[in-house]
Amino acid sequence: MRKQKKFGFFICLILIFGILIIFYSQVAIAAAKQSVTATKVKNAPAGYDDPAWQKATAVNVHFEGKEIFTGKKTSVTTKAVYTDQEIYFLFTWDDATKSVTKGAWLYDGQNWSHQKGNEDRISLLFEINRINKFATKGCAVVCHVPEGSANAKDGKFGTKSAAEKGDLWHWKAARSDPAGFADDTWVTVISEKKGGRKGDAGKGGDTKNMTEDKSMPKYMLAPGNKLAKNDILLASHISEIKDYSVFKAGDMLTYRMPKMPEGSRADIKAVTRYANGSWTVMLYRQLDTSHDDDVAFNPRKKYNFAMALFDDSGDEDSYDSEVLSLQFGR
Amino acid sequence: MNRATGISHVTLIEYLSLERIVKRLSVLTVPADALTWHRFFGALLLSLLVLLFLSGAFMAFYYSPALGSAYDSVDYALFSLPFGGIIKGVHHYGWNLFLIVLGAHLVRAFVVSAYKPPRQMIWVSGVMILLFVPLFIITGDLLTWDQKGFWSTQVRLSIIGSIPFIGDLLVRLFQGGPLTGIVALTRFYVLHILFLPGLLAFLILIHFHFIKNNGLSYSFSSDNYSTKTVRFFPVIFNRWLILFMGITLVLGLISWYWPAPLGDPADPTDSSYVPRPEWWVLFLNQLVTIFTGSFSVVGSVIIPGGLAGLLIVLPFIDSSPERHPVRRKRVMLCAAIIAIAILALSIMGYLEHFSTPHV
Repeated sequence: MRKQKKFGFFICLILIFGILIIFYSQVAIAAAKQSVTATKVKNAPAGYDDPAWQKATAVNVHFEGKEIFTGKKTSVTTKAVYTDQEIYFLFTWDDATKSVTKGAWLYDGQNWSHQKGNEDRISLLFEINRINKFATKGCAVVCHVPEGSANAKDGKFGTKSAAEKGDLWHWKAARSDPAGFADDTWVTVISEKKGGRKGDAGKGGDTKNMTEDKSMPKYMLAPGNKLAKNDILLASHISEIKDYSVFKAGDMLTYRMPKMPEGSRADIKAVTRYANGSWTVMLYRQLDTSHDDDVAFNPRKKYNFAMALFDDSGDEDSYDSEVLSLQFGR
Repeated sequence: MNRATGISHVTLIEYLSLERIVKRLSVLTVPADALTWHRFFGALLLSLLVLLFLSGAFMAFYYSPALGSAYDSVDYALFSLPFGGIIKGVHHYGWNLFLIVLGAHLVRAFVVSAYKPPRQMIWVSGVMILLFVPLFIITGDLLTWDQKGFWSTQVRLSIIGSIPFIGDLLVRLFQGGPLTGIVALTRFYVLHILFLPGLLAFLILIHFHFIKNNGLSYSFSSDNYSTKTVRFFPVIFNRWLILFMGITLVLGLISWYWPAPLGDPADPTDSSYVPRPEWWVLFLNQLVTIFTGSFSVVGSVIIPGGLAGLLIVLPFIDSSPERHPVRRKRVMLCAAIIAIAILALSIMGYLEHFSTPHV
């Protein structure tokens, strides 16, 4: 009987050892793709300097330049944490110049003209419904439709079928950050007439500050209001210019005025800083907004996403990441 | 018969004409150590099998065996359905545990000489089950239609295709065409949920038939514990029920904490994906890596086939009456050499596939 007990004990040990091997193998398999792990925190970070960020693991995400940035490389340090209700991302990247111009008006004493310069941006694309081959090809199947395709200019972004939907988070230094948000948009099928990019339900985006003949700005800061971050004029703080003689040479006015987002478009809030030649951008959102135009995050699941970085540049001129994996730690 | 009313009460058992079976079960006795804490692998395998059948049946309610929806249906069941993740996890971890316990069951049977007369056919039928089980994993892996399942299937089909004479035919039978597409998915699904479970149930019945007629294996001890008998119902049945509930609870907790993995959706155009072999097939995979070119058949067919053949004929080549492992030095030495070779190949495979970053 003692021999049998010893034998039973021995085979139980083998069983436990085997189970451990299985779990270790699963962990090894899971490490296949560059992955950002959101760390569970009890208290939501109040800002980009919050101690909660020290608990998160930093991932140095590599980006490769496209179009005018071809051959160049850059990287963004990415962290993520989540609470029971919200998910927070923290992005930090070097950028020698803070670009928030976005064609702002400049008065030379006689005429108004657009200043040269674009804006810095960072965007993230998640799948709301599965986008065919996004998990392996990333943005290549959504963000860069080959030239010559139907509606290639307007619809650089788009999916091949209406069932495929992406959630595009688009932080813009000039057009969304001054309002304290990232532009919450989504991506669907490219049609013959229209591109696949849509704004989420509600209001948001920006509006152009110009007269009918497009020769000068139409609006200025309304009395009693203040310019927003980076001296940007918000669309909600304007009054029509009645007397242009109040402006003197060298005066500038915002061209693309951010609107205060409402509804589903106001889901992604931003807290940011530009200092010492680098951007620090914290974006946060409800894990599940219950909106059809947003990805609903389930902490038990992994998500594929891709990022793009824009350095004072337009749509085509970006640095793109490979497809990444977002997973949630316990 | 109710004396007051004169109405006779017919029980459900009588309605179903099960009286004879119930009567036979109620008087059925089995050895007292048929299911004890040091002899439970067989009962555990049966528990796992029941769990696998049940979890598989529940998953089939939500599974859609079509290319455009297979992955999404699994994803939905796993992450959106209440308890879907636990059921999928029980199925996933259950199979892995099933393989481990099956291996341990075989090792135990070997060590205690359970293959020796008069139990040769118990051993042979058990080995047949062992060799049959990987078919479930091969067919089941593809059903999720994720990268790992798809590309693992490609590797397995290429290995099957290297079998001389019948390889191409087998691949065509599995795939139903030149590519792994909708026909292959349908065939794998039908095999996985219909034909293979039916065949496995048949093999298990044969195994039980031989156990019933030839008895359980002897134990090492010299006491008379194994000569005692207990009633199958309720004693053994209750023990089995406790084991079943215990393993269900353990697998349920594991699945709740570590959801079953689901990779990226299959992309047949992404040939850069290199699937990592499962833990149980690492040594076979390493054999295929060692023997390449015109020798590939050695690693893919001759050695694995030889090992399988050796297992089947073991009761007939080692027919000596000696049962204690200490007094079976030659057989134990051969087994130890094979076990060390399998372990070494597995470690080599692990180091090759798991210790380097996955591209």
